[in-house]
Order: sequence, then C-alpha cells, then structure tokens
Amino acid sequence: MQIMYINNAGGGFANYMDIEENTSIETLFSQKMPNEESHDYLIRVNRQPVPKDYCLKENDRVTITPTKIDGARPVLQNRPRH
Amino acid sequence: MKKQKKLIRLAEMILESVCQLKQQHLRKVQSQLENFCQKCTDVSKDSHLFDVAVERNWSGAAEKIRLRISRNLSDFAFDLQRLKEVIDVDRPAQPKLSDVFAEFNQIERDLGQLNVDLKEGVLSVITDPITLDDISLGSFEIKLNIGAICRLYIESPYRIIALEPNPAGSNENVTHPHVSEEYLCEGDGHVPIRRALEEGRVCDFFTMITQILQTYNPGSPYVALKDWDGYSCYDCGYTVGTDDSYYCENCNESFCDECSGYCKICDDTLCRGCLRECPDCLEPVCKHCIKPCQECERGVCTDCLEENICQTCIENRKENEDEETKPNESNVPMSNASV
Repeated sequence: MQIMYINNAGGGFANYMDIEENTSIETLFSQKMPNEESHDYLIRVNRQPVPKDYCLKENDRVTITPTKIDGARPVLQNRPRH
Repeated sequence: MKKQKKLIRLAEMILESVCQLKQQHLRKVQSQLENFCQKCTDVSKDSHLFDVAVERNWSGAAEKIRLRISRNLSDFAFDLQRLKEVIDVDRPAQPKLSDVFAEFNQIERDLGQLNVDLKEGVLSVITDPITLDDISLGSFEIKLNIGAICRLYIESPYRIIALEPNPAGSNENVTHPHVSEEYLCEGDGHVPIRRALEEGRVCDFFTMITQILQTYNPGSPYVALKDWDGYSCYDCGYTVGTDDSYYCENCNESFCDECSGYCKICDDTLCRGCLRECPDCLEPVCKHCIKPCQECERGVCTDCLEENICQTCIENRKENEDEETKPNESNVPMSNASV
C-alpha cells in the first residue's frame, strides 16, 4: 500500500512510498531512521500524534520532524544584507 | 466565517507564490540548458575549423584551435555538472488548496494562535518564551511573507522578531544565538525549511523554525551563550564579560582590559584614546590632570608641576642659575692667572 512520507530531517523530502500492510509507525520509523531515537522526533500521522503501535493505512500522511535542529552561522548567506 | 474566508484567500496566495517559485525553477533550467547548448555549438564549430586547418596543413592554426577546444572542454565538465544539478532536482507536486488550508488548522493546534495580515500578506506565529542555558530570550514572532516565498532562492521570506528582546551584550542585533538582524541562520534546517516552503507545508515550516529557536548549537552561534552578557570592546571588538569590561566616562563606551587604563593622578578609568601621556614622567593621565606649564606652556601632569612649572623648566632654570653663579674665566684677575 502507498503512504505519503515527509521527512523533515536532512533532505526534507516528501514523497509517496510503498509499505507492507499492517506496518506500524514504530516499524516505519526504525526502517527510515535507523540509529535514531523516536523521542527525538515529532511523529505525526495525518497531522495528528499517534501511539507507536499505530498501524498505517493506505494514503496515510506521515511526517517526521526532529525536535532539535541545530542552527548555525552560515558561511555563505542567501540574503542581501549582513 | 470571516476568518475562514481570510484563510482561504491566504491559502490561495500561498499557492500562487509556490506556483511562481516553480516557474522560476523551470526558467533556471531553461537558462542552463540554453547555456549548455551554446557550449555544444561552440565545440561543433571548433571541430569544423580544426578539420579545415588540418586538411590544409595549417599547423599553427590547428594548434591554436586545439588549445581552445581543450580549454573549453575543461569548462564543459563544470557546465554539465551544473546543468545536471539543476535538472535533477525533483520538483514536488503542486499542493492543493485543501492541503494548505489543513496546514493552517494544524498550526493552530500545534503552535497556538495563527496571526493573519491579509493586507500585508503576512502569516505569523508567536513562540512560547525561550530559555537556553538559563538565559531567557523571550518570545519570538515568526513572520512569513507569503509574497516573498516566490523569491525563496534569492532572499529569506521570513523574519524572526524578538518580542521581549534580551540581545547579546556585545551586539544588540543578535536577539538569539542564531538570529541576527531578524534573520535566522537555519544550519541543519536549511534544506528541509526550503523544501517545506516549496511544497506549501507552512505548518512544517513554522515547526522547524520553532525547533531551531529552541535549540542551541554552541558550535556556530553569532554570539555564544557563555558570552551573552558580555560587551564588545569599542576599540578592538573583543567580547568581554560584564566584570571584565571598563567604562570610559569620557567617550561613554566599554572597553576591554587591553584597550583601557587609568589616570595615575585621579585613578579614573579611561580608554587608551582618552588617556594622554605626560611628556615629563611618561605616565598615562586624564585631561583633567594635565595643566600647562607657566613657562613653556606644555601640558604636563599635575604631579610633574611645581608651583605651576614643569620639571623640564625647573631643570633649565637650575642650569641657568648654576651658569650664572659659576665664576667667569674672563673675570678672573690677571695676577692670579699668572701664578
């Protein structure tokens, strides 16, 4: 089945992807974000927080956003001032 | 109902801006493709000229053309790479009006009140008060200019405004370790923020900005939190803590230890620029402790003045007096001289 997967970490891509039936959000997270802790991320399905055993359904919209994002002083800035 | 209408209009504005952004990207691809085609044409022309030169045994001309082709081929690899980078970017599908509208609802649910200024085309969210490493920075308003989303690749379409500013001691434009002059340095968030705006995911945009504001990266701040209450030396720019900065009462600025000193007479602290050097004792003194010598009118410190006369003049006076009291050889009696 197909779901919409939005990853706001790193490349920040949003795309449709195929997953197996009865895949839980926890399984999807561990597949997509290996070596990462789920408590470091805001995980939403259809814009709502869900329990980790939530089973994904066709056309669900999954968003994963880090709770901590490092800002930085840029080397090259994309703005006219400064 | 009125608010709903307002939000629908705003969602339409976002879609328009996102559509313009997409158009801009296509124009960029078009320009890169034209540039690349021109390079290909140049190589083709040179190939023909090279053929002619070789067939006619014009070895000098052939060599010149060979060098030009070689030079152009070096640029060719770079142009090809640039074209590939532009063309490989997967453009997301245009979001639907209902998707953008759903983003607004999610913002209100996740981040609190969504402020809308339809006239200015501005969407804003106010964060909770932010405290990093025990330093309270207050709340920030994240103002997204919808009309500027289409210029995303040229300038930042949003501003971060400190509502209860507690700026860095050394730079009042830095209201957060990663915010200067209302611009956020996105760091790791740069690409996902851009992608969120390209796709009209405004809730993700506001969420990520909030997460950056709530995170401190000590590796690359405008002003480190450990130096937050410090002052920038007015002379050399070095950041110093409150306890290590020296205030010059003459020019009303703060200075570091190296750039400040004290008057040896009155002990007032002043910057190096406001301190003067007494020409007699060579010690630093303030302008109030320098007085003119009554004889030579040079300014010297009050310690070096004796009855308003400087040490140099006193010494000169003594020398003159000594010379006057010294017996003159011409006055010596002849009889004594012969003895």
